[in-house]
Amino acid sequence: MEEILERPHYSQSEKEAIFNHEFLPHINAMYNFGYRLTLDRDDAKDLVQDTYLKAYRFIDSFQQGTNAKAWLFRILKNSFINDYRKKSKEPSKVDYQEVETYYNSEEVDRQITPDLRVESLSNMIGDEVSNALNSLDVDFRTVIILCDLEGFKYEEMAKILDIPIGTVRSRLHRARALLKEKLSHYAKEMGYTKS
Amino acid sequence: MNTPQEPHKKKEDCSNQNECLKLLQAVLDGDATPEQREHFLKEHLEGCMPCYKNYNLEVMLREKIKTKCCSEAPGDLMEAIKQKVSQLASR
Ligand SMILES: [Zn+2]
Repeated sequence: MEEILERPHYSQSEKEAIFNHEFLPHINAMYNFGYRLTLDRDDAKDLVQDTYLKAYRFIDSFQQGTNAKAWLFRILKNSFINDYRKKSKEPSKVDYQEVETYYNSEEVDRQITPDLRVESLSNMIGDEVSNALNSLDVDFRTVIILCDLEGFKYEEMAKILDIPIGTVRSRLHRARALLKEKLSHYAKEMGYTKS
Repeated sequence: MNTPQEPHKKKEDCSNQNECLKLLQAVLDGDATPEQREHFLKEHLEGCMPCYKNYNLEVMLREKIKTKCCSEAPGDLMEAIKQKVSQLASR
């Protein structure tokens, strides 16, 4: 949890007001984020519940008037890494570093040139896009959800994820290339590419 | 966002497609400066077929993600959280 020098001390009724009016309205976005991280609906429920309980416990470190959604997303992401990821089979941070170095190399820029057509994509009306997203490494899924679905700016994403803004930018670039590559495989399997 | 015109002089190759894709991403994500945005949407796209196609694809991809990758929290989750929090509060 972020250290803040001067913490507000909210009264009981202020706490309840903040929790009910600024935190709870984000429950659907939080659940979706939890689901995209864990890929499991029960785990997502637990993660969201834990996050809200933490948010309540640490409510004095939330500054009113700042972005509650970004604050909650950061807690959820930290809970995922600290509590959930440890227990799961997701690759560790160390493996991920290698992945990122690989995907940031110029080699990959030359290799990944997805030939996905807009017509093929528009024909994907089922679960293809969702499945393709879920097939990506968790760090790539995360940036796409934060940016495209939740509309966070790069600077907010950098704070939520505790990474430099340049890493946000390159990770997103890579994530979209991988997503399009996956979708172009689907398009081929479905025979959408001929025309 | 106003839709750029389809290029009339169709340049089939983009000299720097990867850099263009990065710029396109910045434009669509609101990370580009107004000058970069103006130049890319009004000048570059109108003369460059690969980037024009990429633009349409990226816009469609974002639309698909918005409509296909969201899910709603189960109905009982909100109540469960409220209950646990009121236990915490009364402690
Ligand atoms: Zn171009």
